[in-house]
Amino acid sequence: MLTRLDSLPRDTRDTLFLLAVIGWIMLPQLAHVPWWCGVLAVAVLFWRGWLAFSSRPLPRTMWLFGVLAIAVVATLATYRTVLGRDAGVTLIVVLLALKTLELRARRDTFVVFFLGFFTMLTNFFFSQSLATAGAMLVALLGLLTALVNAHMPVGKPPLIQAARTAGWMTLLGAPVMAVLFVLFPRFGPLWGTPSDAMTGRSGLSANMQIGNLATLALDDSIAMRVKFDGPTPSQSELYFRGPVLSTFDGREWRPLQPRFFGTRVQLAGNVQLQVSGEPVRYEVTMEPSNRPWLMVLDVAASPPQVPGFETAMTSELMWLVNRPVTDLLRYRAESYTHFRSGPRNIAALPPEYLQLPPDRDPRTIELANQMRADPQLARGGAPALIQAALQRLRTGGYHYTLDPGVYGENTADEFWFDRKEGFCEHIASAFVVLMRAMEIPARVVTGYQGGERNSVDGYWIVRQSDAHAWAEVWLAGQGWVRVDPTAAVAPGRIGSLQRLQPPRNVFATAFGNVTPGLAQSLRSAWEAVNNAWNQRILNYTQSRQLNLLKDIGFSAPSWEDLTFVLIGIIVFVALAGAAWTVWDRREHDPWLRLLNRVRRKLLAQGVDITPAAPPRRIATLVTARFGELGAPLAHWLLKMEQQRYASAAEESLRALQTQLRHIHWPA
Amino acid sequence: MLTIALNPIAYTRQRFRAWWQARLPLSDTTTLTQRNVYILPTRPGFMMLATLLVLVVASINYQLNLGYLLTFLLAGCSVVAMHVCHATLRGLTMNLMTPDPQFAGASAQLRVVLTNNRNAIRNGIGLAVLDSTVDDKWVWTDVPALGSSTVNVAFQPQRRGLHHVPPLTAETRFPLGTFRVWTVWRPAAQVLVYPQPEAFPPPLPPGEPRAGGIARARLQSTGEFDGVRQYRRGDPLKVVVWKKAAKTGELVSRDAEQAQRYELWLDFAQAGKHDTELRLSRLAAWVLQADRLGMEYGLRLPGVQIAPASGESHKRRCLEALATC
Repeated sequence: MLTRLDSLPRDTRDTLFLLAVIGWIMLPQLAHVPWWCGVLAVAVLFWRGWLAFSSRPLPRTMWLFGVLAIAVVATLATYRTVLGRDAGVTLIVVLLALKTLELRARRDTFVVFFLGFFTMLTNFFFSQSLATAGAMLVALLGLLTALVNAHMPVGKPPLIQAARTAGWMTLLGAPVMAVLFVLFPRFGPLWGTPSDAMTGRSGLSANMQIGNLATLALDDSIAMRVKFDGPTPSQSELYFRGPVLSTFDGREWRPLQPRFFGTRVQLAGNVQLQVSGEPVRYEVTMEPSNRPWLMVLDVAASPPQVPGFETAMTSELMWLVNRPVTDLLRYRAESYTHFRSGPRNIAALPPEYLQLPPDRDPRTIELANQMRADPQLARGGAPALIQAALQRLRTGGYHYTLDPGVYGENTADEFWFDRKEGFCEHIASAFVVLMRAMEIPARVVTGYQGGERNSVDGYWIVRQSDAHAWAEVWLAGQGWVRVDPTAAVAPGRIGSLQRLQPPRNVFATAFGNVTPGLAQSLRSAWEAVNNAWNQRILNYTQSRQLNLLKDIGFSAPSWEDLTFVLIGIIVFVALAGAAWTVWDRREHDPWLRLLNRVRRKLLAQGVDITPAAPPRRIATLVTARFGELGAPLAHWLLKMEQQRYASAAEESLRALQTQLRHIHWPA
Repeated sequence: MLTIALNPIAYTRQRFRAWWQARLPLSDTTTLTQRNVYILPTRPGFMMLATLLVLVVASINYQLNLGYLLTFLLAGCSVVAMHVCHATLRGLTMNLMTPDPQFAGASAQLRVVLTNNRNAIRNGIGLAVLDSTVDDKWVWTDVPALGSSTVNVAFQPQRRGLHHVPPLTAETRFPLGTFRVWTVWRPAAQVLVYPQPEAFPPPLPPGEPRAGGIARARLQSTGEFDGVRQYRRGDPLKVVVWKKAAKTGELVSRDAEQAQRYELWLDFAQAGKHDTELRLSRLAAWVLQADRLGMEYGLRLPGVQIAPASGESHKRRCLEALATC
């Protein structure tokens, strides 16, 4: 492509190349900016390219200000503000696109370059993955190439030449980057980051609307990585607990406390948690969720160790942190898979766990009444009723599906009687409604279930598609007990690798059919690389910086020490550079150095020798001054001449050096 | 004193510059080293610094480790660019070719050979006369690896006489434009500057009768030719009889009778009633005109007299006398 470009006139070529680089930088943004901004940016870039290609004049500045004013108004209309992250990104994209229409003076070009660097950074708001890093490295090389090319004023040098210079500069700049990255002290945010900092990330939400977990099931991205200290617990025990939802309005499940997002953390009042068995110890690397909770294996009795956060447990066994997790977060936790919680007495239980939305799901309530009226079941109490409900799920022709269609008003009725198919959220929701209708306290728990082991680096990987919803019922004398109705419908979902697969496209199907093993191992390798990237680069925090200092011998390192080490390295490199310049100024030719030594000595004795005098001339002067006494020196000087200029030197320079030391110096 | 009062900074700067330049050695060849190459950040350089600061603040505030990587890579590139920029000039050898004499006020050129003895190209080196009044004074060149390139630097000599070549400056902003690396060089060579020829001089003065010859007032028939003679070196092309030359292959010149009897003297005393410089510039114009016409002419200046002759070397002698008198 570079050669095709190179055949154009220089101005056209340079402009088109710069536009291509800017387009590449903006490309990842198009998914995140409002549609009008994307359309405007693409249109402006193409128009600018056409102007350059057909050598037409640029539009007048007045027009640009007009478009900019419209863009600001549109941003205000979209976000209700021009401040904050998303509005800022939108404006920067518009500015960068419009500035390409104003490439008149040298200064304008620089503005485009610097806006370009900033736009590159804004891409990282949305993704810091390895792929984004690679794309932006290409973009950086492209921008540097354009910048270098702009400073080659002569003729039309090929772009590849500028690209090579840019490549070398980046390569040589990489050590500087590495040192600064490792040692630059990490602080918390200098001022409060806008609350929209991390929107646009998918994941579990605080509420569960019927139908929105199924969208997560299509999302193959990673939610968290877990490294177990000991052996991995069995798949069927891997319930990672997320938000617990207890109030239901017929369509949406909400947590019990209305002030869920408040900074006030509800401390566990009446948890009454009893654990048994050996704890499972593990380390979680959680992808940013922008939610103020931690995912832990059901259930963590002691607070997870989260650097930089305060943690607290709610009465529903959920671990909260004091601010949303906006970055990759690593923490250690200890969980017990066998536990009991909650009050033993129903009087101590909040009545919300029995509430149902009024005038909804009449057939389900009818079913509940029938079951309770059954004398056999009534004798068995709550456990028998639960078993009966699970039995109905097992044998009643219910199906586990990703795509059950859109549910109407009475979601539980539709599940139990009409459609008889649903995703885990439908099943759990319908099950809890039935339980409550039978006066058994119940609630929905959302989180992740299962996961898979990456065979390359041994990390346990939990994806968004592992999102799950299950139920907890309260039994007198036992407290809250986990019941997973999905396991009754589809035993394969729990306890094995089987997950529902969305329909795949033709190519992926063919690929998967031909080499299922290859696809799996490629994916494992890629995710291991990604994990290494996450662990080493994205999760490089202040604590790891300080650990590094500890390793090199600081007893109690602080961030000031980091600064000192950094300054020390800079001073050392600067001194080394200065030493090099001193060395560089010296005469490097050993022959000339030797001759200069003799010359200086003779000058000190008052022999008048010009700086450019050759050995023969010096020899003449020595003979004229000292006569016979100077003969050995004169002879040596002639040998010096011979050493330098004869076609085959008789004596080596080293030998001449030794001889000089033994010469009787004339006085 | 007035300058100091009006603009003390500019005055101090000018004095500092004069003092600095006077310290520089005079030499026709110079090899740039660490000691005579200067470097300062440019305005885009400060913009780059501001960009880096904004990037690092954004990385801190949004806790973007990838943002840190980008910022520091860019910072690393800027540091490398600084060294690349300095190395573009450091080690370069500049050699001034002996300059030809020039006319005052005309735009003239200095030929400078740049020699690169490192194994990599040196890009984007600009040369110019220091403190030049020419608008676009820079001449840009690349010097190939282990090679040399020649540039012609424009300058406008203002006063006639024998002067030092004005101080030259070389500059580069390659590769990122964030730093300006420059050097100042005072060549030792001198350039002879002829007086500026008058733009519209009056016609040549009438000839004076040749001493000892017969005076005949046949001024009207100037240029009428009376015979031919062998071509002599220095004869203008218009007196060559081309038809004859084409036939015989031998160059023959016309010989005017008038030239044999009258002598053209360009006299300082007859060059108008202006001041010396204007008279000299009229004389210079006459010299050029007479030379163009292929006439023999002599020059009389206060204290100097050059006997009538013609040809290139005679013209040079006359112009030199005009330049230095």
